[in-house]
Amino acid sequence: MQTAISTDQKTRDFWLAATDILSQAINGEIVGMSNFALLTGTIDDVHEKMECVEHANCERNHAMGFMEIATKFNLPVLINQDGRFWKKVKETFARWAAKKDFIGCILIQEVILECFAVSMYHDVGMALKDNEAGQLFLAIAKEEEEHIEHSIDLLRAELEKDAAGFLEKAEAVHYDCMTIMAEWSVIRSCDDSCGICAGDCMKERLYAVELDIRSLRGNAMNLYMKTLDRIGVPGVKSLEWVANLPI
Amino acid sequence: MGSQSSHIDFALIGHQDSWKKITGFIEFLTKGKRKLTESQAAEVYSFIPPRAVFDIEVRSITGQTVRGSYIETFISPDELGLRYWKRNMFKVQEAAACARQLNAAVATLGGFTSIVLEGRDDSLNDGSYTKFTTGNTLTAAFIVRNLEKACRRFGKELGDQQLLVIGATGDIGSACLEYFSRKVKKVLLCARQQVILDALAAKLQRQGIAAQASTDIRQLLPQADLVIAIASSTIENFVPELCKKDIIICDAGYPKNLVFDLKGYFSDRLFSGGMGQVQGGYSFTPEIHHSFYHFPVECVGHGCLQEAVILAFENMHEPFSTGKGNITLEKMDRIYALANKHGIRESPLFNPLMAWD
Repeated sequence: MQTAISTDQKTRDFWLAATDILSQAINGEIVGMSNFALLTGTIDDVHEKMECVEHANCERNHAMGFMEIATKFNLPVLINQDGRFWKKVKETFARWAAKKDFIGCILIQEVILECFAVSMYHDVGMALKDNEAGQLFLAIAKEEEEHIEHSIDLLRAELEKDAAGFLEKAEAVHYDCMTIMAEWSVIRSCDDSCGICAGDCMKERLYAVELDIRSLRGNAMNLYMKTLDRIGVPGVKSLEWVANLPI
Repeated sequence: MGSQSSHIDFALIGHQDSWKKITGFIEFLTKGKRKLTESQAAEVYSFIPPRAVFDIEVRSITGQTVRGSYIETFISPDELGLRYWKRNMFKVQEAAACARQLNAAVATLGGFTSIVLEGRDDSLNDGSYTKFTTGNTLTAAFIVRNLEKACRRFGKELGDQQLLVIGATGDIGSACLEYFSRKVKKVLLCARQQVILDALAAKLQRQGIAAQASTDIRQLLPQADLVIAIASSTIENFVPELCKKDIIICDAGYPKNLVFDLKGYFSDRLFSGGMGQVQGGYSFTPEIHHSFYHFPVECVGHGCLQEAVILAFENMHEPFSTGKGNITLEKMDRIYALANKHGIRESPLFNPLMAWD
């Protein structure tokens, strides 16, 4: 039987959810910043190296923006780079960077992570569009979108050079990194703490900001698949990859 | 997959009518590694963007072969109602973009997706290379031929029958009425919108045709000898006890689930309508018949999808069926004759539970 949720409870859950959402966003941006910083080591071209540092700085600014909002609303966000999922993402990226695999790194950062960022920031931004936090999420979503656009041409060219080799790599990256993101966004509350949410799993409180994990995850997967389509990955292939992810 | 070729003869755009088929398809796709429950599939399915999922080759008895792709819209079987209208329209538009990207000469909108072309604005046929058709003309042609066949089987003279059309104001429903209204004793019209229904009944009566209309099927069922049901959802109040014992029912809706809704009543007098059988055969690559497109009769398929195949065989790259109420008897005869030329005929009578023969 469903129990009615009081207004007070909803208000409490709203602020708790907002705090957890900001915590996840900040940690994600810091992971992005670290990834780009690490990526500079895989690049020989000086100009590309500088561009990479610029990207890292961009992610840093996003993290700063979210932190400022948290401070403004007095929300006790948690920054924990050893959090279960974000740590795994960082380690995965580091493995591809250690191999000096620039394309593998781009697939992780600019396709997988940015698709989640763009889609989820957009959804959160729309849900909170009447306040400053919502506007910030929407603005950052737009900036992250440019990162995806930037990578599509590069990755498409790579696929055209060696389709079989590219698809093999994209598949390996998918199972390596997207599996972590799928576990993070699994459509039920996490059994153990992820190390980022302040209390119980934030998925239980998303209702208070008019969101739900099913749509957040679904929209992110939708953008991911569309991005792979645009790169030129056969649709049935990406469908198979996504079908194999944990739900 | 068709995406690698620069041109394909046809594209079929569709959606699934059951979670069982969807979970079967996912299992096939993941080579048996992934077995989702129906509720798990429901959590993710409708977020998948439309895409070509397999290639199709259809063979004519003339020796010709045409090749195309099936584009799945990933519209959820539970979300076909008005509440999801906007979202579904968007998905159909995205699927149409896939057909254009594949350079399909002609594409058909199967099942529910045809409503995009049945509106006032045909925004799909906007001058792009790919031409879109609803496939409704061939569907209607197969429905009427199969109902005639069923009548012959049970020794029923059309002139003595009262025909109930559920979904009478729709594109296919009005085409069936046009075909039968002067052949049967009386037409009984059922649809959801009273005003349109009354106007249709009045129009038929002015032409001297015995017609009775109601939005409540219970008012009409006791009189019906023949039923053509063209509905995209469960038909409310289809009470088997109200029906005549020797009724013949053509389930031409999508999904074709009336036999299940009626819980076994009339299973030997109810057939799936609007289906055609391809004598030359067809094949899918990858071969996924058993999990995705399986019927109790060999080589059958939906008439709406086969219309695109016929147009491809004939190099008729045109929006053959568009709008609502534009299906004429001449057009039905024409597409039916072309279908026959290529060995595509109304299917043997069957329903999801059994083949009649």
